[in-house]
Amino acid sequence: MMAMTATPESTTIERPDTERLVLVDVPWVTIVWDDPVNLMSYVTFVFTEYFHYPRAKSKRLMMQVHTEGKAVVSTGSREEMERDVEAMHTYGLWATLQKADA
Amino acid sequence: MSYFQSRRKGRVYVEMPGFSGRLIADLARQLIELLSDGEATSGAGVDPLEELVEMDSPRDQPTDPALLRLLPDAYTDSPEVAAEFRRFTEQGLRKAKIGAAEVVVRSIGEIDPADEDAALEFELSRDAARAWMRCLTDLRLTLAERLEVTADDDEATWLALPDDDPRGSLYRIYGWLGYQLETLLEAAQH
Repeated sequence: MMAMTATPESTTIERPDTERLVLVDVPWVTIVWDDPVNLMSYVTFVFTEYFHYPRAKSKRLMMQVHTEGKAVVSTGSREEMERDVEAMHTYGLWATLQKADA
Repeated sequence: MSYFQSRRKGRVYVEMPGFSGRLIADLARQLIELLSDGEATSGAGVDPLEELVEMDSPRDQPTDPALLRLLPDAYTDSPEVAAEFRRFTEQGLRKAKIGAAEVVVRSIGEIDPADEDAALEFELSRDAARAWMRCLTDLRLTLAERLEVTADDDEATWLALPDDDPRGSLYRIYGWLGYQLETLLEAAQH
């Protein structure tokens, strides 16, 4: 790993041909959006199965998606959130990622 | 009565009429076709160089609304970043969805039209049951997009459509698939 001066802002290092490694103070979040199709029981199942959340938490998040239109379902690095969003899309849930303060 | 029964360790025993199996398998095949659309599939006729170039450029959103719902943007604030993300993930996502639909087609197998009334019986592994759930979900998402189902829809309006309106029967299939998913979920989590 290369030495770097820590700054409060995010720092981007270009890695050739692959991806950007972003070091950030501000975490990223995965947001699941409400849709008129997915079953409440299925959404709860996905949160329990993929995130290993306790059933009560999965249910609460599902209800938040349902009543408020969206919910933050995970927080972490940009790479982790990209993985989570891709997994949600594999399950058929509508998910996006963004910076936590956005 | 539900087609799905719990077995040990998340396995699911399935017993359904042949015509139900054939309907699900036909829909799954159409889904595979939709997801393979415009994609270089492995094997003959694929120019490896062309495939490489394809992989290496940002991808636009699919123009088909159903495909866009199956393969949504991961970033809402920037089309450029969303296209960049697609470049690395969209093919894998398509493959995962096609893979789940293939599990469904395989577990149902070939059905002799003369034998359509005979019961179909098979057992799904824990993973296969989960592939079924994802595929049933993708089928519902696709049908809902074709029907333009919205959150404010009244089911009665759909069911009151005249018999010759194809949307009526599509909506019934959509609802029926929801029931299949619900009962499969119950059986798989028992």
